[in-house]
Amino acid sequence: MNIKQPLENYRILDLSRIWAGPYCTKLLADLGAEVIKMESLSVYDSHRGPIAPARGIAAYPDGEPGEEPWNRNGWFNCLHFSKYGVTLELTSQEGQAVFEKLVSVSDVLIENFRQGSLARLGYDYDALKKSRPDLIYVSMPAFGNDGPWQSYLAYGIGQEQLSGMAHMTGYAGDGPMKSGINHGDPITGSHAAGVVLAALRHRRRTGKGMFIDVSQQESAVSLIGAEVLAFQISGQEPERNGNHSPRVAPHNAYPCLGEDRWITIAVTNDQQWRALAGLVAGSGLATNLATNLASDPRFDTNEGRLGNQDDLDEIISRWTESQDAFKLAERLQEVGVPSSPVLRGPDLLEDAHYKDRDTFVAVDHPHVGVRKYPGIPWKMSVTPGQIRWASPALGQHNRQIYGQLLGLTEPEIMELEETGVIGDKPTGSRII
Amino acid sequence: MPNSLSGDTQSPNPTVPGLLQGVRVLDLTNYISGPYCTKLMATMGAEVIKVERPGAGDPIRQFGPFAKSIAGNKSSSSAESRILESGAWFLYLNTSKKSITLDLKSDEGHNVLGRLAQSSQILVESFAPGTMDSLNLGSAHLKELNPALVLTSISNYGQTGPHRDWKAAEINLYAAGGLMNITGEPDQEPLMEGAPLAQLGAGQNAFVASMAALMYAEETGEGQHIDVSIAEYATNILENALMQYSYSGQEFNRVGNRGYGRAAWGIYPCQDGYVGIIAGPDHRWPEMAAVMEREELADPRFGSRNGRMMNADEVDALMLPWLLEHDKVDIFKAGQEHGFGFAYVATMEDILDMEQLVSRNFFVDLEHPVAGNLKYPGPPISKISTGELDFEPWVYRRVPLLGEHTGEILCELGYSADEAEGLRNGGVI
Repeated sequence: MNIKQPLENYRILDLSRIWAGPYCTKLLADLGAEVIKMESLSVYDSHRGPIAPARGIAAYPDGEPGEEPWNRNGWFNCLHFSKYGVTLELTSQEGQAVFEKLVSVSDVLIENFRQGSLARLGYDYDALKKSRPDLIYVSMPAFGNDGPWQSYLAYGIGQEQLSGMAHMTGYAGDGPMKSGINHGDPITGSHAAGVVLAALRHRRRTGKGMFIDVSQQESAVSLIGAEVLAFQISGQEPERNGNHSPRVAPHNAYPCLGEDRWITIAVTNDQQWRALAGLVAGSGLATNLATNLASDPRFDTNEGRLGNQDDLDEIISRWTESQDAFKLAERLQEVGVPSSPVLRGPDLLEDAHYKDRDTFVAVDHPHVGVRKYPGIPWKMSVTPGQIRWASPALGQHNRQIYGQLLGLTEPEIMELEETGVIGDKPTGSRII
Repeated sequence: MPNSLSGDTQSPNPTVPGLLQGVRVLDLTNYISGPYCTKLMATMGAEVIKVERPGAGDPIRQFGPFAKSIAGNKSSSSAESRILESGAWFLYLNTSKKSITLDLKSDEGHNVLGRLAQSSQILVESFAPGTMDSLNLGSAHLKELNPALVLTSISNYGQTGPHRDWKAAEINLYAAGGLMNITGEPDQEPLMEGAPLAQLGAGQNAFVASMAALMYAEETGEGQHIDVSIAEYATNILENALMQYSYSGQEFNRVGNRGYGRAAWGIYPCQDGYVGIIAGPDHRWPEMAAVMEREELADPRFGSRNGRMMNADEVDALMLPWLLEHDKVDIFKAGQEHGFGFAYVATMEDILDMEQLVSRNFFVDLEHPVAGNLKYPGPPISKISTGELDFEPWVYRRVPLLGEHTGEILCELGYSADEAEGLRNGGVI
């Protein structure tokens, strides 16, 4: 692609692992940045999975880990498109010399090590600035770089809890429920990406770098701020409502024809209610409740529907359970009722709308073959961007980065390989 | 700096700080997703001008709870202003912005908006697709007015595709984006999250793309149109749930609170609430058993991830007595002091008191004439420094009253007080 990209003149040195940091640099790579993902051969990104996993784990192509499982893991391979992959042992002197050279030619350094890890190797912000005076350094430990919890650990699943997100998810009377993903991670990655861009722009105008101290927890709390204010105003903690809304009804997932098939319906005003009730009444559902739905005074107003929503849910369920979720959603949308089937993995990849928008893209990975991946999460009219290459194998771009970019000679590179400072075969892996 | 008609919103500092100082954003968004995007811009110091419907404003102003009437504000008209000005959702999502009211369907309103578009770098809108065209504010028209303008559109399903015009609430987007299918108990219906994270996350990503497009426009003089779909955002963060199907044809099913096929990895009850237990690597399991003061947990049968999974109910039962005897903060700290990433399910009350957040001065006290004084969660990345003492990356001001800055903005555009009065009488503002 010859079209200039917004970030094509920027180089990001990415020491981050797992998801929060890698999602940040994925977004930057989507915008054309040159991202160099650096891993250690002894502690590579744990999203690559163990060195010798059992067969049959679904994250590997057809459940087959293969000769180099660390290059075949879908968790990893969906997050690192268009990035360069290098390895380096930062604990060795030779490795540190190479690292400092890389820092000197990078605009941004990003890491999400346990707090203080890089500083213990001698690389706090002041030390890093000696290599690159206008460096933008993004440090994203779980709780930030100061305060009583600075040395504590947390993963995305823990951030959901410590930020209050889990507290408001689940059913009334039951305990809190985790989300299906480690939701604390991508939100922090996205927040960090936005701040990095503002920092790059600021540097362009002032010549000054900066230290960006990301607390993953603060990032998560800032998303539920309205509930923090609501609590101060009302004195009430947010309730766990299942799929119900505190404001409108009906609002739920309803069973449909087939195994584990569901449709979501949310009626947000009286007009949508009349449209839904009309469809139910016209359906010939063998219950007098259904035919009277539109005229039942209990359901006339939103207040009434909220107050009687368990009855309402039961009637709607009896109407939906014999119907195809996809066809029913089309019919509801035709009359203006917000609805969607609950899409599962296969549905997403086959969905006509997502196909039309190229939401998922086929990428040919040398160790995997062609598979579908989630693409770039926005459409830009002038600089659309593209997935330039598949996620890198461990150490795939060592020669390109250390040789062509840094100017190391072939004998120098070979010596780094022989001493285990760089390489493309892991020497260990710590998996959480 | 424009004349201020509302002294109490202005920072006492004569130089407006913020990383995005000097960037003007025209904000035509409502509800959650777009306003979170422009909140990020405003909090970074951009001048965000929120354009609202005369009379009612952003419909999220109607989302309670509403602040109780504060002293000296007890007239009957204050009930209406309480509803418009003090709903928790509006109060949070629109900090640091300005508000003008404008009837976009009127000729004069359209004219004012066009002139503002000429002086803005970014326009963010979250109408149903096609609405901007019907208002004669489509991307082609805006490009004529301002070729460098970044136009960011946030919508449910995006500006193209067969479901472009589908109506949706958060639950529908959560379902369409694949997140709902994997949340909840395996034997119950798919579950949505309590917080509108699909809308908020799409707003975040819209901010990222807008910033990149702004940098591009500043470099080349060329603006562009950004299309962000909330459902599509959700499909981007499915992680292994999508990949394991793509790679091996295996669907990812709901696992309730037992995360990712692991035992001793999820949410458990404790004495005063709920905690998050994370088992850590296999070789550290005996230490975890020691933390929980249960020798039986150190049984070699539970020493591996698979072993714990196969005996998950037994493991849970053995952990439970210790958990139920301790409170959440003690459990959290006991794990953390041994290097385990334990967590606890924080309530809003817990969050306001959380020692780490308090220590980092995360919360910001803002006084609002109707809502009074409240503690607002601060910017998502609160600490940014250039090493210079006068550098202030963030700007935090209370939300604007409906139309609070209409006079100021019209004055800047050269409207006289009489002309502004005419617009007001005509219902344009």
